[in-house]
Amino acid sequence: MSLSPKLICKNVWKLYGDNPKEFLKSHNNNPDKEIIKKSGYIQAIRNASLEVYENEILVIMGLSGSGKSTLVRCMSRLVDPTIGEIFFENIDMGKLSKNELIEIRRHKMGMVFQHFALFPHRTVIENIAFPLEVQGIKRKEREKSALEIIDLVGLQGRENYFPKELSGGQQQRVGIGRSLAVKPELWFLDEPFSALDPLIRKEMQNEFLKIQNSLKKTIIFITHDFDEAIKLADRIIIMNEGRIVQIGSPEDLIMKPADDYVKEFTEDLPRERLLSVKSIMDTKKEPNNSSTVYEDEKIFSILEKVLSEGSVSVLDKSNNIIGSLNKETVSKFINN
Amino acid sequence: MQKKKLSNKIIFISLTVLTFFLYWYGKEIANYLDSKWLVKYPKHYSFPFAIYTSTFVKWLINDANFWLFTFNDLTRFFAWIIEQPYNIVLAIFSKGILKGQGQDAIQIMEPLSWISVVGIFFTLALYTRDKFLIILVVLSIVYLAVFDQWQSSMITLSSIIIAVPIGVVLGILLGILSYKSKILEKIITPILDLMQTVPVFAYLVPILVMFGFGPVSALIATIIYAMPPMVRTTLLALNSIDPQLKESGLMSGCTERQLMWKVLIPVSKPTLLIGVNQVIMLSLNMVIIASMIGAGGLGYDVLASLRRLDIGGGIESGIAIVVIAIALDRLSQSFANLPTLSKKTQKTFFTKYKKIIFLIFYIIGIYILGNFFTFFKLFPEELMINTSLFWEELVKYININYFDNLESFKITLLTFFMLPIKKFFLGIPWPWFIFIITIIGWYFGKTKLALLCLMMSIFIVTTGLWEKAMITLYLCGSSVIIASIIGIPLGIWAGLSSRANKILTAFIDTLQTLPSFVYLIPVVMLFRVGDFTAMIAVILYALAPAVRYTAHGVKNINNQIVEAALISGCSQRQLLFKIRLPLALPEILLGINQTIMLALSMLVITALVGTRDLGQEVYIGLTKADIGRGLVAGLCVAFISIIADRIIKAGSNNLKNKYGIK
Amino acid sequence: MKILKNKFNILLSFIFILFAQNIYAVESKDPIKLTLHDWTGQLITTNIMAEVLKEAGYNIELVPADYIAQFAGLQTGDLHVAMEMWETTGRDAIDEYTADGRVVNVGSTGMDAIEEWWYPSYMKEKCPGLPNWEALNDCAEAFSTPETSPKGRYLGGPVTWGGYDDERVEALELDWEVIHAGTDGALFGELESAYQRKAPIMLWVYAPHWAPSKYDGEFVEFPPYTTECYTDPSWGINKNAAYDCGKPRGPIWKVASSMLKDKWPGAYDAVEAFTLDSNEMGNLVAAVDLDGNTVEAVVAEWMANNKDRWGTWIK
Repeated sequence: MSLSPKLICKNVWKLYGDNPKEFLKSHNNNPDKEIIKKSGYIQAIRNASLEVYENEILVIMGLSGSGKSTLVRCMSRLVDPTIGEIFFENIDMGKLSKNELIEIRRHKMGMVFQHFALFPHRTVIENIAFPLEVQGIKRKEREKSALEIIDLVGLQGRENYFPKELSGGQQQRVGIGRSLAVKPELWFLDEPFSALDPLIRKEMQNEFLKIQNSLKKTIIFITHDFDEAIKLADRIIIMNEGRIVQIGSPEDLIMKPADDYVKEFTEDLPRERLLSVKSIMDTKKEPNNSSTVYEDEKIFSILEKVLSEGSVSVLDKSNNIIGSLNKETVSKFINN
Repeated sequence: MQKKKLSNKIIFISLTVLTFFLYWYGKEIANYLDSKWLVKYPKHYSFPFAIYTSTFVKWLINDANFWLFTFNDLTRFFAWIIEQPYNIVLAIFSKGILKGQGQDAIQIMEPLSWISVVGIFFTLALYTRDKFLIILVVLSIVYLAVFDQWQSSMITLSSIIIAVPIGVVLGILLGILSYKSKILEKIITPILDLMQTVPVFAYLVPILVMFGFGPVSALIATIIYAMPPMVRTTLLALNSIDPQLKESGLMSGCTERQLMWKVLIPVSKPTLLIGVNQVIMLSLNMVIIASMIGAGGLGYDVLASLRRLDIGGGIESGIAIVVIAIALDRLSQSFANLPTLSKKTQKTFFTKYKKIIFLIFYIIGIYILGNFFTFFKLFPEELMINTSLFWEELVKYININYFDNLESFKITLLTFFMLPIKKFFLGIPWPWFIFIITIIGWYFGKTKLALLCLMMSIFIVTTGLWEKAMITLYLCGSSVIIASIIGIPLGIWAGLSSRANKILTAFIDTLQTLPSFVYLIPVVMLFRVGDFTAMIAVILYALAPAVRYTAHGVKNINNQIVEAALISGCSQRQLLFKIRLPLALPEILLGINQTIMLALSMLVITALVGTRDLGQEVYIGLTKADIGRGLVAGLCVAFISIIADRIIKAGSNNLKNKYGIK
Repeated sequence: MKILKNKFNILLSFIFILFAQNIYAVESKDPIKLTLHDWTGQLITTNIMAEVLKEAGYNIELVPADYIAQFAGLQTGDLHVAMEMWETTGRDAIDEYTADGRVVNVGSTGMDAIEEWWYPSYMKEKCPGLPNWEALNDCAEAFSTPETSPKGRYLGGPVTWGGYDDERVEALELDWEVIHAGTDGALFGELESAYQRKAPIMLWVYAPHWAPSKYDGEFVEFPPYTTECYTDPSWGINKNAAYDCGKPRGPIWKVASSMLKDKWPGAYDAVEAFTLDSNEMGNLVAAVDLDGNTVEAVVAEWMANNKDRWGTWIK
């Protein structure tokens, strides 16, 4: 994971109401939550700043109404932020003209929607080729690229079906296919799997990881499902009432929840399955252990070893000992 | 809460009592106070809207000038544009291609023969893959030939073929514009209200003067009347699109135009087709009135038959209109519901357009055959059916044998039902009436609605047409009451039994598309000239929505609610009265609302049998070519319907919100 | 546009005159548009006029149009000739539209319109004093309906027709109530209904019309009309009221667009020369409405029999 930010949000606010810009200005660009409410405004995003790194999966997580969808729409400028700046590849999105914005969407962005948002009057292949069609690419050419994508998302043989002839999972494959048609660099997925049945959801998540492994896009993924977030994310952003509560890796969130809100999410999770050895090991190096474990192994897989051995050494990828783990720490962690 | 309800009740009762008190003693009080203006609005206070309007329109037509061209040039230019495609369509279906004008014209090419037109409709129906519909459509077209309505039907069909696409395209464009601009939407909405509520008679004369005499003016009047639902449907369809679909279009890189024409419009196609259907039906409703200003066709036949008292001829031509209407209605509806199926195999040009290619060869074949055998050109006269005598004898039979029974029925209804209502409306002093209307407006829709009611009623008073407006209210009111008494039970029946629904739908469709002119004369023959006859005609026409909406409301209740009621031990009767009806109430209210609208539009036509209401005023404006008089009276009718519409809709919405149903 | 078209036409007719040895000497081959209304008499008059003009070589088009609404078309020159404007029903319209000269009154058709109270003959048994108007009060009850009883019921024409029947009832102190029909369709609908049942009826009938030939009956004889009767209250039986007399009988006029005279002066002269008399028309109408002949056949027969008459119109 390289650390160059692909997308940067700086102090983004989004208020709904009569004249939100003036209102923010008159309150020093930092009005109180209560004042906003009292003045008849609705706060969708409150002072959000973040960076999205190249090739990472950044999951934005929050309950409905937490502002996560609005935030992502600000990033793609489907919604204009009230104030704040958004840079995409060092281009200030707020200063783009209509046509420049269309150009960026035509070549660098793709988006998948919660309810698929397929065009009901177009077949699978016509849906997937649509972004190419609006660019004015010739039929033969765009159908060729569309067929490649149909292969990628596993819809061979369904090219000429209409959306309503497909199951939910298949429909979302079309949605994913369409968003990938322009080979985007920034890929937005807005709760793509939440309208699906649990089993299909799991299958789609795996499929998604598979696709990402081969394509390596920069991804912003929205979900309200913490399990899904943990499973997919490199980093997670937790939002509550329009505010970013915490940004961090899954382990950071579990080990160091920023507040009670985040804590509540993480409490009932099977932590031994989510956390790796690194997050609870003792950094004191005790070399006299016969058994070793790797730092990124999940705790549940080394449980038995530690409990029977009493103490193990922790190795990094190049087999250097970087710490140790003993029975007491592990039992304490599990019983917590 | 309880307290508020109680005080509401007290206010309601005291207002009612006061109203009746004023109705009985209003005159005495006015006399006592020596202020007669309380009961009768003084003539010299009326504002001469009519004269100003006439002067303005005259100025517009004769003198208005936009430097490069006059207003008249502009309207004539529009007329010319519409005339071109109309002439082509007319040539294809009715006149053939002609060279020259008047009696010197030589026919170069024959119009399509009746067999070809049957072929065209058959092919159209084939696309729906509905056997029943195919038979229905073919029979309808054959009816036109068999009953000797061919020539006129084709003229009428030609004007529909032109009016509908123009109405639809204009409607969609206006819909799109008002979707894009909130300001435009605010401007357009009241104009649409007026277009739908001002009686057509009121603007026939100005249209004639602006666009010249002939089929084009008739087309324009038809378009004005039939277009508003298309604008509304377009707006509704666009506004109800899933925002995610719009976003997915944008994220695919659509420009604004691509978004509209590649995403939004195609996605709303099913809803738009419903609008198209509406435009077709309304255009056919206009056939008669259009023929008054030179459209010719079936409408003219109906009018001419009336003039000759040829009841049978009128009915045959009238049914020809119904038949065309039903065929086009069912066709357009089933196109709207056509399932989109996957194109699993690639199609060649031939397989894709197979039907059309066959049709073209068929038409050419028939054309060639027509040169050898006249059967293929014209339907043979000896096979035609004429039922005039039957209808005439039927009406005569009823007239001779049952007139006395009908008469006594009529007298009873008149004395115990209609006259008291008339006296009531005419008896209430106008300031009190306006006050009550405003209060009602305030109760249902707060300040905004109250203001609307107040302004509109004041307009009606100041035109000096208050008394005629009250007679309008009385005629409309008694018709609506009886239409509801008949229509709601029929609607319940249709909602509960699907077989009844089928029969009633056919019956109602006929009533609504059969031009009222057809039954106006038989009704006059049986009930004489007067308010009662007018009421019968209005009820016949306005019955449909009461039935339709009630049926819809009763039928479309969440199944779980019905199951819950049954589990609680409801009998069928209890289910109907305790569950279905209360929940259907908002829908029934909307039905009554529609009934009121139709009744008001029909009242203008019943002026033809001698009413003394606003309809008569509009009709006088028409026959005397007095533009201002017609328009002002038309506006009064429009305002009455707008007031009624807003109050009832507000009431229905309040109920829906209370029950939490949308 | 229009001027250009006219110039073009003039040019065309020049060419015509120069090269084609024009037989008819017609001013313009553009079609002259005659309006058709919805009563038989008018169809016959108009068709006769049309046939005559055709004989003279004019190009004729017949256009269905409304009686009053057609004036808008005459005014703008979209329509050219209307063959029947009745003094009794069309006076206001004629006055309004001829005022600025764009529509012109081309003179009488020679036919006179009658409008009056009328009753079927079978009512004479119940009211032997008829047709004298003084019998009206004696048998008012015989003509009553439950709504008007004991007064007689008189079905008047649409209010737009005028006629002063309400004033007449007042002035002659008749025990009658005037009910206005909305159209003549309604008017004759009631007549047909009553006639079928031999029921009492008194109503407004006008001639020339098919009704007086189809139904057996008579007009009521009121004191004859004079101008003073309508204007001067002291005239007539009732010294304090006007309208104490019958209705005026007036000519049926022909009107035309002023364009007719400018563009087809010959046709204008022919229209002006056209005359028929009321009896002749009554017979023609009866031949269509009662004997079931088509308008075209009746007109063709008339044309064949009256060559010398219409020949003079187009001289």
